[in-house]
Amino acid sequence: MRAGNRLRTLLTTALLLPTVPLHAAGPGGALGELSFRARTLLPTLLLLDPVVTPQAVAPSDQEGVVVNPANLEHPAQLERELRAALRDPLSETRLTVTGGTARLGSYSVGSAEQITGHIVVLKGNAEIHGRVDGNVVTLDGNVILHPGGMVTGDVLAIGGRVRQIGGNIAGSQMELEAAPTPHAELSVPVLVARRGAGLLGIGLTLLILGFGLVTFGRPNLEIVSDTVSHSFGRAFLAGLLGQVLILPTFGMMVVGLVLTIAGTVLVPFAAAVFILLAIIALIGGLLAVAHAMGETITRRRMAHGLRVSPNAYRYVMTGLGSLATIWLAWVAFGWVPLAGSLIFAGAMLLTWGIATVGFGASLLSRGGVREHFAGRILPPEMMTDEYLWATPQLGVPAVKRPPKDPTA
Amino acid sequence: MRTIATSRPSAGERMLQVTAEFGAGEFVIKPGRAGELYRMVLRYDAERNVPVHQYDARSGILRLGVESSGGAGIKVTTKAQMSQRAELFFAPEIPLALSANLGASDATLELGGLTLRSLSVGGGASRTTVNFSKPTRGECTSASFMIGAAELEVRGLANAGCRELRVEGGVGRVMLSFDGTWRQDTKAQVSLAMGGLTLRIPKGTGVQLVTSRFLAAFEAEGFTREGDTMTTPGFATATQKLVVELKASVTGVKVEWTP
Repeated sequence: MRAGNRLRTLLTTALLLPTVPLHAAGPGGALGELSFRARTLLPTLLLLDPVVTPQAVAPSDQEGVVVNPANLEHPAQLERELRAALRDPLSETRLTVTGGTARLGSYSVGSAEQITGHIVVLKGNAEIHGRVDGNVVTLDGNVILHPGGMVTGDVLAIGGRVRQIGGNIAGSQMELEAAPTPHAELSVPVLVARRGAGLLGIGLTLLILGFGLVTFGRPNLEIVSDTVSHSFGRAFLAGLLGQVLILPTFGMMVVGLVLTIAGTVLVPFAAAVFILLAIIALIGGLLAVAHAMGETITRRRMAHGLRVSPNAYRYVMTGLGSLATIWLAWVAFGWVPLAGSLIFAGAMLLTWGIATVGFGASLLSRGGVREHFAGRILPPEMMTDEYLWATPQLGVPAVKRPPKDPTA
Repeated sequence: MRTIATSRPSAGERMLQVTAEFGAGEFVIKPGRAGELYRMVLRYDAERNVPVHQYDARSGILRLGVESSGGAGIKVTTKAQMSQRAELFFAPEIPLALSANLGASDATLELGGLTLRSLSVGGGASRTTVNFSKPTRGECTSASFMIGAAELEVRGLANAGCRELRVEGGVGRVMLSFDGTWRQDTKAQVSLAMGGLTLRIPKGTGVQLVTSRFLAAFEAEGFTREGDTMTTPGFATATQKLVVELKASVTGVKVEWTP
């Protein structure tokens, strides 16, 4: 569609607007009609819908599409036939209408006109000011009947509305929602790119959250991370139990609050807090597992003589990178018919396991408050490196010097 | 899922014979606007079903609803089909003979105020509530309900004013409430294979129950028994009479008296 045509059609439509007698509008009144016009025009103004130049549709050849709008009992079938007739560009469309005519783009029957036969309007509105002795069908357009307009037959709007501002429709009115357009099969590169972008987005989000947690809640993160490292099995079991009990706990909390009557007003707040805490425990736990993984990987690298800076930011980043590799396999090979599903199931299972461990560690350490659950064997004072060279702070019992004179 | 809305203005029709077909989902019938012969708003599973809308203006025969696109009848195969919804409205002033085959739907039929000539409701595994919240217009010859494994509640049967009432049920729970404004004596034939039947009858109504039971428990007060016939005192002189022929097997039958 050329820009000139679009502009011309828009201007024509805008000029036609004031000619509509708004006082004669239907149940919605003038405001309803204005709202309808705005909704109809908005997609066109925003260039979402192409504007179609009004024109007559030439009859199809012998093997082309032929429709008979005399019988509108099967509108879905009629829609399929009409869509099959559409061509790109639309001006190439050919359609034979038995006992009537076909039009492309908006079409108007003037107040002094009398049309004998059916009218099929494709990709546009049918504005009826005059008389139509037959049926009126629109595809992706509205049928608008104005005062003085008359349709002696039935009216069908496929992918549009039937608006009766005035006038008379002797037969049935039908509005059929347009058939959903089938989703095109994505090519493998597009599929991989789309999934990769999704993974990158999730990874970046978790990275930002992880860095935020390191900055503002490092002690808690490290305690949960240590709990994962030192009590892995217990953390998994606690996480599993937590998942099972989370809903009953929520229910008990709500029931308990309701039973206290006064606490009923607190139910919405308590519910919001509960859900928030559960999400924090889950995501925080996942990040703590990433931290623990990153720490382990970093220390192994250092043991191999690699010089890296051992800090919590690196731990989180390295851990999340490791987690992402599980999903990278799915991004790369997820399109393979059976293997893709298996990789997806494996990645889901592994991620669930990691999240369960993290959730359990968060529960065991009370969100990184209970330090002893980190499984630390040495007391904090032993964690300094002073004990390696100085007198142990715990002290060594001094040997009593023997008296000079044993007889004294 | 797709939506289709269809309606037709009334043009002096004398009678409307409606057959409504529905497979699964929510099904609603209500009185419509005056001057509008019928209206249907249907949301249906376009992958498996096609909408039905056929009207013959000369005979006044109307078919509405959905049917299987394969032509082999309605079969509920997916959960999506249960989210189908049909709303049907009929002109209150046009005499209506309504036949509804509800399949496995959750149906609510509000028929009070309609000019009901006859009613026939069938369902396989449906939950159906029929309500006559106000008296119907004109004379209703019969109302029949044929259900398979279903729940059926009919309220305001006196408002329906149907001379004959017939209920045939397989397995399920049936509640018939004869409240409302009595216009004529009513005869009901109820046959239920297995389940529970509750009859709610206004106090003061003369009731005669002719029962044919097999392993059916009967729970009712205020009847005098003579063989298989149970009658309320003063039945012969009652201003409003209800005769119920009851065939029940493995069924709990209960009569509740309403104020």
